[in-house]
Amino acid sequence: MPKLIIDNIPVEVTQGKTVLEAAKSVGITIPHFCWHPALGKAGACRVCAVKMVDGPVKGIQMSCMLEAQDGMVVSTTDAEAMAMRKQVIEWLMINHPHDCPVCDEGGECQLQDYTIAGGHGLRRYTGKKRTHVNQYLGPHIEHEMNRCIQCYRCVRFYQEFAGGTDFGVMGSAGRIYYGRVADGPLESPFAGNLVDICPTGVFTDKTARFRARYWDYDMAPSVCPHCSLGCNTVPAARYRELLKVIARQNDAVNGWFLCDKGRFTNSAVNAPERPRVPLIDGRQVAWEEALAALLLRIREIGTEYGAESLAIVGSSGLSMEAASLLHLLHEKTGAGSLCYFVDAGEAQQSATVTACLNEQASASMADIQAADLIALVECDLLQDGPMMALAVRQAWRRGAKISLVEDAAGTVAQNDNGLNSTDKLPFEVERVASLIDIPFADAAHPVIIFGGGDKMSEVMAEAGKTGAKLACLLGGPNSFGAALLAKEYGAISLAEAVADKKVRAVVSVEADIPPELLPKLVVVATLDWRNTETVKAAHIVLPTTAWVEMDGTYINNEGRAQRFKKVMQPGLPIKGLNPSLHPPREHTPLVPGGQSRPAWEILVDIVHRLGSEEDIQLFAGQWQRLRDLDATGNGLLLTDIERGIK
Amino acid sequence: MIDNELKITLEQRVAAAVTPREAAVEVMKELQHHYGWLTDEALHEAANLLGLSPLQVEELATFYEMIYRRPVGRRVVHVCDSISCWAMGGETLLEQLAGRLGIGVGETTSDGMFTLLPCCCLGNCGQSPTMLVGDNLYGGLTLEKALDILQREREGIETK
Repeated sequence: MPKLIIDNIPVEVTQGKTVLEAAKSVGITIPHFCWHPALGKAGACRVCAVKMVDGPVKGIQMSCMLEAQDGMVVSTTDAEAMAMRKQVIEWLMINHPHDCPVCDEGGECQLQDYTIAGGHGLRRYTGKKRTHVNQYLGPHIEHEMNRCIQCYRCVRFYQEFAGGTDFGVMGSAGRIYYGRVADGPLESPFAGNLVDICPTGVFTDKTARFRARYWDYDMAPSVCPHCSLGCNTVPAARYRELLKVIARQNDAVNGWFLCDKGRFTNSAVNAPERPRVPLIDGRQVAWEEALAALLLRIREIGTEYGAESLAIVGSSGLSMEAASLLHLLHEKTGAGSLCYFVDAGEAQQSATVTACLNEQASASMADIQAADLIALVECDLLQDGPMMALAVRQAWRRGAKISLVEDAAGTVAQNDNGLNSTDKLPFEVERVASLIDIPFADAAHPVIIFGGGDKMSEVMAEAGKTGAKLACLLGGPNSFGAALLAKEYGAISLAEAVADKKVRAVVSVEADIPPELLPKLVVVATLDWRNTETVKAAHIVLPTTAWVEMDGTYINNEGRAQRFKKVMQPGLPIKGLNPSLHPPREHTPLVPGGQSRPAWEILVDIVHRLGSEEDIQLFAGQWQRLRDLDATGNGLLLTDIERGIK
Repeated sequence: MIDNELKITLEQRVAAAVTPREAAVEVMKELQHHYGWLTDEALHEAANLLGLSPLQVEELATFYEMIYRRPVGRRVVHVCDSISCWAMGGETLLEQLAGRLGIGVGETTSDGMFTLLPCCCLGNCGQSPTMLVGDNLYGGLTLEKALDILQREREGIETK
């Protein structure tokens, strides 16, 4: 472990760390553009200059390129080093346009920060600036090449880290151009990260173009709800509109990045057709009236068909808070069925995974990146968990062997949708006929990735035998939690409940009742924030808040509980409101369309109205540890006891 | 379109390389020789031959100054603008040649004979300033000598 001195502070770092990282570890930020924790060094920007005062290396050095060594004495404040950094900033600014006022990066721009920090405020260069023609890169990313400072971060991410082949760097020297051969949408499912990774405004989020500045955003640590991996995000909102989603670092889960599915498919939060007011048969009513009507309807169902004909239905997308209260509604209504899943297959798969996946065997995305042998079994990574494909690629880049188990017919395993994106996977695979053909014994850190399906028992047995860690892709952001609750309360899927018993009516809590079941059922009430078919079929609609409008918890595919915080107030986005109605002329304590409530809160309300006297606590009993979950940490990996595994 | 013979030759060269990317420059030069410049069609053919994406070939094509991604004249005149030639008057030579040819740097004469380009070091520093016309290297140039060389190159092509 090399020991060195930086600005008179003794520092000890692990072998292989750079001087820049060593400085960072004691809170000294050396300016940098091309260096990135996930991408490493390039030595392209020359702005991290420091003076090596004593030790094995002397003089001005690039701190990102220099490995920390014993006996180094480093000064970041040395006059010569500071002058160099200042001049480099000035060079980098020579061609940079003065368009900060109309640039979306303004306020969240590394170049802007370091230019100001370097004290460069007056342009001395009077020559012509280098200019470029921009490209159309698809609906999500805006291209403005004139702003480029040639740090190579984008191309290093796109080609090296993410394995894309349609975007790169062309030309040489002062003429280099980052783009495609011709205009067209970027093909990589991780292209959105260019927005986060560019230290200036060459790539900006087109979906949030010209909408707000950094200091205007409503922001909070959040978790992506679009698959079971639970990638960490920072959604940014303004004026009750979700503008964009930024990746949030979590080394145990998503690292620094996010897939495009998680980044660009959030428009449902702002959708004008979202249910925002309680409805009885399409009529807008007050909460009081809607809840009273709900109680009445439940009673009517009881007298008409019998209480046991009622099913309480949750989903794998429901927050753990609400999901963990569903059983109370089930008890108090005397409903015959309690369902945490609609689809029997999903329920079965989630149940099997949670029953077998103990804390030790569970592979995090960090474990996948560090693996030396990975087997893919019946999974469509790019469809069901794109970020896991990115993690596998990192392992592959480090030399891990990736095997894809084909099914008996010799074709590549397909998922339920018949989708097969294995050809587009950003790594090379070796196709094998069976798990038995994979030499797990030779590997130090083997991982099996399983998409859920018939081979579950075989995979579990093989994992147990070989000591391979296991990562399973589940259906929704809280599938794991829902499956644990389903086990605890002996719940079955709605599909099975409908098949077995005479379920006549349902109360749906953020569940999607499939269209083939809808005509057979009376949807007494739907609690949801999306305008789904189930909402349209419901007699009573109770608007809930989306995940960005409340605090909540999801338990991801590895059994990691993660807290997400409220980003924004629920309500109709001001954009799109009739100008004659905004601002509202009538005084109310609520914003327009701001009546949505978190599902768990509505459930507590209903349970109390059904006659429960008890004080309902969130996360009682064995879930106690989830109460003080920190949204900014690595979350909480459930113990085997919490997983119900002995 | 390239003929089958050239295609097979190039495929063999790619196969003989340790990695396909290694053969990229050679493939691009052959295709450039075939088309006169590296056309978009040639770019895609090179990508197919090398198993790279068109973008990855474009990255290499635009990096090397002797791969032409735009039409050029029958001979490309590369005038060195690196340090030794610059010190020996290479900059003036380039400007004056442009004036005499009646074109700007980067342009082609109206008869389609010459394209004038600056280039980096040709490895002929001992005889700077220096230039490359087609595949022929000339050193110790003055404007007169250079014009004389271009005249001879022109005659050489015309008498062929």
